[in-house]
Amino acid sequence: MARVRDRDVAAFEAIYDGYNRLVYGIALRMLGEVSAAQDLTQSVFMKVWSSPESFTIGNFGAWLARVARNRALDVLRGRASHLEGEMPNDIALEGTIDEIVFARIDGARVRAAMSALPAEQREPIELGFFGGITHEEIARRTATPLGTIKTRIRTGLRALRSTLETEVPR
Amino acid sequence: MMPPDDELLDSVAALALGILPADEARSLRLRIALDERLLAEYRSLRMAADLVGYSAESSGVDAAICVPLKARVMDAVRAQAPARIPRARPLLVWPAWAAAAAALAFALATMLQNATLHADVKSSHDRAAQLQTRIDAETRVAAAQRGELADLYAPDGKHFSVQGGEIVQRGDRIYIAMRQLPKLPKGKVYQAWTLAQGAKAVAPSVTFTPDRAGSAIVALPVSTARIAAVAVSVEPEGGSKAPTSTPNFIRKLG
Repeated sequence: MARVRDRDVAAFEAIYDGYNRLVYGIALRMLGEVSAAQDLTQSVFMKVWSSPESFTIGNFGAWLARVARNRALDVLRGRASHLEGEMPNDIALEGTIDEIVFARIDGARVRAAMSALPAEQREPIELGFFGGITHEEIARRTATPLGTIKTRIRTGLRALRSTLETEVPR
Repeated sequence: MMPPDDELLDSVAALALGILPADEARSLRLRIALDERLLAEYRSLRMAADLVGYSAESSGVDAAICVPLKARVMDAVRAQAPARIPRARPLLVWPAWAAAAAALAFALATMLQNATLHADVKSSHDRAAQLQTRIDAETRVAAAQRGELADLYAPDGKHFSVQGGEIVQRGDRIYIAMRQLPKLPKGKVYQAWTLAQGAKAVAPSVTFTPDRAGSAIVALPVSTARIAAVAVSVEPEGGSKAPTSTPNFIRKLG
């Protein structure tokens, strides 16, 4: 990213090659349309190019995934006014993200870990992340008490972390 | 501090996943910032929430989508990228700059040379004009001297002997031609005097100094028709209105 800040096109291309599948995958999963996902992917990477200072600390892939999700939520908000829940960026996270885990993670491992979760945990997590809806909406859609949904989400996230930390060799 | 209750921790998980309503999220963030145990829980779950996005990572995006998408993005990026100067360019630019500098130096040198030449030409013109003026003057002098010589040696000239020389009269012209005039003291000159016919006193005429040999030829600016006598005396530089010393000679003409 330092080279991208220096307007190095080759460095940007390397970042694009490394993360385009993540951004495009999130966009496609959330928007469900190829053309919209393409537009969103271009939008996210243009933000990387035009505002590289937006990324300050932490794991770049995680940051990029949040950017992609939040941009997709913006698109979805244009379709439905009740969507909420941007992932917060205003709480300090330095030194907390396990860079080793992120460095060795890939979509297949995460999908495997997610598949290993009980459906009652996996579904509200996926609905919340990719659907961009609030826990109350999740509760309504799944016809589950709000407290139960929140507990399942917390339990599922802890299990996901534990699984990936265990499976990813350090 | 009391341990956070499970409901609060569940809300922290919802915040990490980004599914809390905005107002509830703002309130919870404040509590997390003030509670280290809530913050630790948030950090732990936030990492897991970030990883959820990776589950959507496409393992094999269709090339028909991937290739043109990348081309689109890279075209847009390159359009916004600043023009980069190739490394080899300075090597190509240097000769151009060197040539430009040489051309400039040559132009300046040429301008200076032209200016110098112009100055030289002007100086030469001035010198030529001065030389021409001198030549004209010397020509006139030479002509006068040739005229004087012609008068002095003309067979029809009248010669009146004086001490150390003679007075020559030819036509209406009078010359004092001296061969052995004594050397003058410092600040002194010889002065000619003329006595007009019927006059009771001499009139001052030209002053002159002989050469090292004591010779001098002086043409008197008068007409012989009215001159009765010529005299020469030693006078102060600048001449006198009347003789201040005994004349070297007084010679009556005719």
